[in-house]
Amino acid sequence: MTVYDRVVTILNDRLGVPAEDVSPETTFEQLDLDSLDLVEFALGAEESFGVRISDDEAEGLRSVGDAVALLESKGLGVTQA
Amino acid sequence: MLLENKRLLVTGVLTEASIAFSVARLAQEAGAEVVLSGFGRGLRITQGIAKRLPTEADVIELDVTKPDDLAAAAADIDSRWGALDGVVHAIGFAPAGALGGRFMQTSWEDVATTLQVSTYSFAALAAAMAPLLKQAGGGSIVGLDFDASVAWPGYDWMGVAKAGLESCCRYVARDLGPQNIRVNLVAAGPLRTMAAKAIDGFSRFEDEWAPRAPLGWNVHDAEPVGRVVCALLSDWTPAVTGEIVHVDGGAHAVGTGAATEG
Repeated sequence: MTVYDRVVTILNDRLGVPAEDVSPETTFEQLDLDSLDLVEFALGAEESFGVRISDDEAEGLRSVGDAVALLESKGLGVTQA
Repeated sequence: MLLENKRLLVTGVLTEASIAFSVARLAQEAGAEVVLSGFGRGLRITQGIAKRLPTEADVIELDVTKPDDLAAAAADIDSRWGALDGVVHAIGFAPAGALGGRFMQTSWEDVATTLQVSTYSFAALAAAMAPLLKQAGGGSIVGLDFDASVAWPGYDWMGVAKAGLESCCRYVARDLGPQNIRVNLVAAGPLRTMAAKAIDGFSRFEDEWAPRAPLGWNVHDAEPVGRVVCALLSDWTPAVTGEIVHVDGGAHAVGTGAATEG
């Protein structure tokens, strides 16, 4: 599973975003997600990946691709899961 | 320790930047037992953040606008501890229409929501918890304020609600004093919390706060506020009630910044 796939899973599990609505270019604004939703996403990512996303980092995320890039910058890659 | 064996209800923890998170963390470090509350879609976030405290805290579901929730929260605490030593009210909300420079156009519905959540809830929470505080032989209620003596950019009806909160604090102090319950507010300088980020124009007075404050001011550090809240929750302010303590680097005391002098 790629980091992107797992991000889509978190968006679906935690925030009810249908997977088919998401592409790497999709912005959180287009998904109608606000700053509180991004905090929830960050918590989901922490549970799923075991990496911490700070409030400021969460606030800076504009698109799904941004979130993937941030997580990859924290050393995450493709997993066997 | 400052809060050894104190049993505290801390509302308003949403993220680690929350003032209430600093309060809960410092209180635990000072020996207190802490229960948090959260509600709505914030509840799960509060539950997640509760794990980041030194000791994971339980989270009670509590919408302060619902009398049933207040009664259920009191019953939960009663069954847990049988008494309560302190309450932190860190609750405020204003619909978008009540903030951000549309003051003269705001509808009564938006104003009513702002006042219900941000002002009335202080008295409602105090009333719900008073029997438990009395059971402990008295206690301390602390609310979070933002200086309401002047008008601020963007703060609008939340500023009106805070002015009401300041008055509300005095009346609750009057009525709960005979039960040895102290009631005070901490007026914090601007902090980069989720609540602050929701306010258009907030950055304008963030930028001018540090140069004006004699002690300076860091908008990213809620600990100075948390420390004073803990002090007010402790036994070291036994004759203080109906008070507003400014934790703002001293900005409230000066009319303009000293940076250009000398």
